[in-house]
Formats: sequence, structure tokens, C-alpha cells
Amino acid sequence: MASNAAVPFWRAAGMTYITYSNICANLVRNCLKEPYKTEALTREKVHFAVSKWVDSKPQKSSMIRIFLDLGFLRCAIRSDTEEE
Amino acid sequence: MAMAALRREGRRFAAPLISSQPMTAIRSSLIAEEQTPLGLRSISTQVVRNRMKSVKNIQKITKAMKMVAASKLRAIQTGAENSRGLWQPFTALLGDVPSVDVKKNVIVTISSDKGLCGGINSTSVKISKAIHKLTAGPEKETKYVILGEKAKAQLIRDSRKDIELSITELQKNPLNYTQVSVLADDILKNVEYDALRIVFNKFHSVVSFIPTMSTVLSPEVVEKEAESGGKLGELDSYEIEGGETKGEILQNLAEFQFSCVLFNAILENACSEQGARMSAMDSSSRNAGEMLDRLTLTYNRTRQASITTELIEIISGASALEG
Repeated sequence: MASNAAVPFWRAAGMTYITYSNICANLVRNCLKEPYKTEALTREKVHFAVSKWVDSKPQKSSMIRIFLDLGFLRCAIRSDTEEE
Repeated sequence: MAMAALRREGRRFAAPLISSQPMTAIRSSLIAEEQTPLGLRSISTQVVRNRMKSVKNIQKITKAMKMVAASKLRAIQTGAENSRGLWQPFTALLGDVPSVDVKKNVIVTISSDKGLCGGINSTSVKISKAIHKLTAGPEKETKYVILGEKAKAQLIRDSRKDIELSITELQKNPLNYTQVSVLADDILKNVEYDALRIVFNKFHSVVSFIPTMSTVLSPEVVEKEAESGGKLGELDSYEIEGGETKGEILQNLAEFQFSCVLFNAILENACSEQGARMSAMDSSSRNAGEMLDRLTLTYNRTRQASITTELIEIISGASALEG
């Protein structure tokens, strides 16, 4: 059956629920007051190196994601356009 | 690696100590691996002393590594126990059905990046391979997503063509949910799956790690299983608020479930890694201590033999002069 109700705006934009909830969490963390804010923002650091395997060979594409706290939104959008 | 070095040292000593030497060679020449030429009267204890020094250093290093692993374990353990509350509601709602039969399976193997942690990575890889064999069949496809260097090294050897994604350098910053959820998002975007099977070592206590597999189904499979009844069939009895359909909610839930289960799995595996490293380093230090005892005995025997030899020479020289 084709979509009858409107798909939520973020799903239509290509985001998964995980990305959506992360952005919301980021917004909540930014609402904190100072000493707790820096503490909470340390819990947002992301670092890992992922490589996709094609034909039994790892791609050399350095998809290292280093997100710094406030740049999350920008990085999220940039990575989506990269994958296209 | 330290264990292998200690074993090598032990073998060097075990061999000459066991074999019997011809009568002409001095007893102390049993020690040196490089057999001293016949007729040489004094033996250098230098060789034994060097061995003792290196074994003592190894013992210090392994003791320090054990302390470091213990402190890291304390730090992550509370996190791991708290994260159990994230996936338990999901299992209560959607159930965990390892026996579900689907076409596309993806096995997510979680391992460590660093070594010297005992056998946990090998058990994870063994279980992943067993699951691969179990879920293989006509028209079925099973792929691997590998987290951590150690599993990658082992799975590259015979399952190269089945690897879909490999992820490393996960523990550079302390583990947090944001990182794991971004990782889960990456996996969901790059891999097609009907069922995700996550293989990790569950942390029961400092000495016991149980290899575990958690299953997360894709929303379409959940719909199909719901028709066949059981726990999933009761989903229809829930009332849905808001403007969303059941399909959409299932999709959101499936994504979030994967992220939560993966978070818990990574934390538990990290705890198991530190615990296994503690016990591996502990047994290393103990072996080094025993080896040091054996070396000390050998050293003393060598020393006493050389002193005795000197005395014999002096006395026989003196008695030759008299008579």
C-alpha cells in the first residue's frame, strides 16, 4: 500500500530514527547550563574508522568520522550528501 | 606475546636440563644453550643472570598491565550494567528469536583492537563462523560486519568474500552512546539485512565471559513473524497514538533496537576484554615468578660448581707442590 499518511519529515529527508534522536539529544544537551554542559558534550565525541569491502578488498576511502559536539548537524548533512 | 616469550625461555631451559650430558663436560655447562667447548674450566654465570633480568622485567610489565586493566574495567563496568536496561524492554516487547529463518543474515562480530586479552576474540570468531555455517543454505546469504582488528585478522583468512564492512579504532575515546548510534546508523545504511545477529562476549564476572548472540530483525520480518503468532502477534493488541502507522513505528523501533543492543554488546565486550586481559596478565606474572625461581636455583648451582672447581684446582696444585 502506498504511503497514505505523511511520512514524518525526517524520514522523507533520508534520516533514520537514530540520526533523528541523536540530533534531538544534541539539542537537549546544548540547553544545559555551564559546568554540566561541557561534561555532557564530552559524551558526544565520535571516532571510528570504517571501510567498506568490495570484491574481498577493503576500500581505501577514509570514512573516518570525527564529530565535534556542535558540528553534529552540519556533519550529518555533509555525510549524507557524500554518500550520494 | 609475553606468554609466548616466557614459553620460549622455559623451553630453552627445559631441554638441556632434561638431557643427560657426557661425563667429560662439566655439570654447569648444562645451563648454557651455547654448549661450552670441552675442557673449559670456568663457566660464565652471565648468561643465567641475563635471563633472570629479562624475566624479571617481563614480570614487572605484566603486573603493571594487570593493574591498568583492572582500573579500566572498573570504569566501564558500571556503564555496561546500566546499559542493560536499554535493550530489556525491547526483548520484552519484540522477543529475541535466534531460530528465525530468513534469507539475508548479517553477522556483526565484536572484538577488540588490542591483543594480550586471552581467548575471547577467538571464541567470538569461532561462534561467528558456526552461525555462518548454520544459516547457510540455498538462496540464503550471510555476510559479516566486523568491529575490531582482531576478528578482522582472523576472518580475513578464510571468509574474505563474505565481509561487508570492517570498523576499527572504536575505543579511542571513551565509549558513549552517540558513537555507537552513529556506527549503527552506518551499518543500517550500508547493509541489506533481514536479520542481524550480534556476536559478543557477555560479562558475567571478572573470570567468566559467556559468548552470546543477540538477534535483531528488520521491520518486514517482524511483520511476517507477527502473522505466525507468538509474542510478535500480540503487537496488534497495542494501541498506537499519534499519526503513525504500525509499519512506521516498527521501523523506528527496529532501528532503535539495533542501536541499543549494539551499544550494550560493545560495552559488555569491552568489559570482557579488560577482564580477560587481567587474568591473562596475572597468569603471565605467575609463570614469570616460577621461571625466576627455577633460574635462581640453576644460577646458584652454577656458581657453587665454579667455586668448587677453583678450590679443587688450588688444593690439587698445593698437594702436587708438597708431595
